[in-house]
Amino acid sequence: MTRGLYAALAVVVIGLALYPMEATGYGIRFMLQLFMWIALAQSWNLISGLTGYVSFGHVAFFGMGAYTAGILIAKLGWPWLVASLAGGIMAMVLALVIGWPCLRLKGPYFAISMLGLNEVLRVAVSYYEGLTGGGNGLSLPTLYASVQIYYVMGLLALGVTALAYVIITSRFGLRLMTIREDEVAAEAMGIDTFRYKVYAFLLSAVAPGIAGGLAARDQGYIEPISVFPLITTITMIVMALFGGQGTIWGPVLGAVALFTLQELVWARFPYIHPLLFGAIIVAVVLMMPRGILGVLQQKYNLPRTI
Amino acid sequence: MIGQVIISGLLAGALYAMVALGLGLIFGVMRVLNVAHGPIMMLGAYTSFWLFHWLGLNPYLSLLVSMPALFLIGVALQRTLVSRVVDAPELSSLLLTFGVSIALVNLAQLAFTSDLRSIEYLTGSFVLGPFAFSKSRVIACGFAIVITVAAFLFLKSTRLGKAIRAVSQSREVAQVCGVNVQRIHLFAFGIASALAAAGGSLVAVMVAIQPEMGQVYTFKSFLVIVLGGVGNYPGALLGGLLLGLIEQLASLFLTTQINEAVAYILLVLVLLVRPTGLLKGRT
Amino acid sequence: MAPILEITGVVKRFGGVAAVNRVSLALEPGRIHGLIGPNGSGKTTLFNCITGVETRDEGEIQFKGHRIDGMRPHQVFHLGIGRTFQVIRVFPELTALENLMVVTTSSYAPARQRAVELLSFVKLERLAHEYAGNLSYGQQKLVEFVRVLMTDPELILLDEPAAGVNRTLLNELLDAVRALRDRGKTVLLVEHDMKVVMGLCETVFVLDHGEKLAEGAPGVIQSDERVIEAYFGR
Repeated sequence: MTRGLYAALAVVVIGLALYPMEATGYGIRFMLQLFMWIALAQSWNLISGLTGYVSFGHVAFFGMGAYTAGILIAKLGWPWLVASLAGGIMAMVLALVIGWPCLRLKGPYFAISMLGLNEVLRVAVSYYEGLTGGGNGLSLPTLYASVQIYYVMGLLALGVTALAYVIITSRFGLRLMTIREDEVAAEAMGIDTFRYKVYAFLLSAVAPGIAGGLAARDQGYIEPISVFPLITTITMIVMALFGGQGTIWGPVLGAVALFTLQELVWARFPYIHPLLFGAIIVAVVLMMPRGILGVLQQKYNLPRTI
Repeated sequence: MIGQVIISGLLAGALYAMVALGLGLIFGVMRVLNVAHGPIMMLGAYTSFWLFHWLGLNPYLSLLVSMPALFLIGVALQRTLVSRVVDAPELSSLLLTFGVSIALVNLAQLAFTSDLRSIEYLTGSFVLGPFAFSKSRVIACGFAIVITVAAFLFLKSTRLGKAIRAVSQSREVAQVCGVNVQRIHLFAFGIASALAAAGGSLVAVMVAIQPEMGQVYTFKSFLVIVLGGVGNYPGALLGGLLLGLIEQLASLFLTTQINEAVAYILLVLVLLVRPTGLLKGRT
Repeated sequence: MAPILEITGVVKRFGGVAAVNRVSLALEPGRIHGLIGPNGSGKTTLFNCITGVETRDEGEIQFKGHRIDGMRPHQVFHLGIGRTFQVIRVFPELTALENLMVVTTSSYAPARQRAVELLSFVKLERLAHEYAGNLSYGQQKLVEFVRVLMTDPELILLDEPAAGVNRTLLNELLDAVRALRDRGKTVLLVEHDMKVVMGLCETVFVLDHGEKLAEGAPGVIQSDERVIEAYFGR
């Protein structure tokens, strides 16, 4: 990245760091959620954008983090920051458990197996009612920590984007991309595609896990429908696709664009969100498969590692 | 007890087989994983519901409406959207049909609301010796069998059916033999949608109808295809019956909640052990 | 000298058809071998079995005395067997240089140096930063060819290296193959172009309908009646 861009980024980061001092409660929550979506979309990008293995059940990691943190906070009195980090770790464990069998499958079959994941987790939550509160949900002791969560979420978004940068500009990232380009050839060229897929999958689960924990703390209450909704996965996917999957800034762009539109324009019509997102997905796949950033890359001959 | 469970499983299995055959057709012919298959089934169910609600039409007669209607919708979907991603990486068609599926479900929510609907048409059971089977299940199974057999006869004996099978095996060779592959794609998608619609109409008499009802059938159809062998059309039949059996047996030993997870775990297990399916299939 | 690759009784079935039916052959180290046969005779399938892309149903494959059947492709690769594909399989969205650099596990600087060397070897160094997908057919073929050489494999399998390649490029490729042989590498190539096979290979195997029909020096094979029959019918 050029000097100028670094400077611009620094300005933005400083601005965001100072924002809470002058912001309204609404403003803080808006930015907090935006950071969360950036982290989520970017994480989805790490597995699906780079390796081409579409994860339809990614919200599972978010929910896992939410319930882990929620239980630790509500039942064991852990501080929310540590609990959220634990949420991230548990999400990684879940990714290992699911990924180990499922990533051996070829792309489309992996996608199918991820489709059913949501259902299984919801079942698990109701089964372990004693621990999770089942359908009645889990309440956390009240605490107003939006500003602190704002900062942590912001760091999370920054962290995942930095992770994306490191991966995409490295040979590790190149190898992940060969899986997307031609998995058979990649294997034949000595790349242990299974191992790389697992690494990418694990890395893609951490941030959603932590974000889930933070969101749980912020809401103060979790129930299955709120932390495992399909719409969360859909939104992650649309954002990454729209901005440009497989790139560094694509998911950020997509998250900013779509979340802003959602809050300012579509918030009045929440009941057509899925329809809108579905339409956007179809449009992106048909007309700009590499997202907005892809279009810009083509037009202005930008490097691939954008 | 066991006998009852087995026959129940077979009854349900026939329905699974019919719907899964549709999904298998699309995958076999176009290599497209149609995530929207379940929502199409849902539309079939709603068609039957509304016809029953407004016109008092016998739900089983409504098959004559839902099947052609969804056939046309399927063709339209294929023509406008799916055809553009048939040659793209499988990832694209997956995302596309995913987008379509969420759009369809949402449209249904907007048009029909999420209120649970049901068709009160056939209640009670047929009693046969020590066994009792709900009437609607038996009749649904009967129709499913008839429709599935008709589909197989179609695939086996008619020119169009043979062309479809040819394209499933090798698109290039079929083209060289003069088959209009685009048309085959349209037909395959249409037929598949009609099969899904039939499933929806039959199921509408038995379960609560709501916009998200199709999702689980998409998943189970995939499972059937995998059990029976990808690209192996008769295999879908066995796969469906097998799934029906396994589910009913599982319900004997496990609580209903875990039941839903059974299908999922089964899928992962089978895919790991025999990725091309239990019976002969292609990768 | 012990054969570097030994295939014994390998069978590979698809559905009810045996694409490879009890094929046995042995490759002598440091020689160029050819694998020919009419379309559909099982040549690429055999390649796939050797490299682990397909798992053979029966039989054994030994490389330098160790069994490699059942191994995954990346393991086979790291043992020292490299291959190219019938249909070009470069990674289109990676540059030519990156296509080569993803292959090796050595660290960045030496990998880059070797990649640049190999690209220079086939006179493509100025295209190093071009996306492989944008290269011409012949250029992509060359990239795929040198990609295989990144880790200096001992056995190199080439699947139709001459297909779609113009004369000049072809001669360069053939010279490169001979140079490899002179450095002690073993080569097995599948080819349809008879001139190439006869001019380049020291031993030729003939497959027909999945079975080994004949093996021997090119001159002998050329005049073998069964081979002529297989290609041209009675």
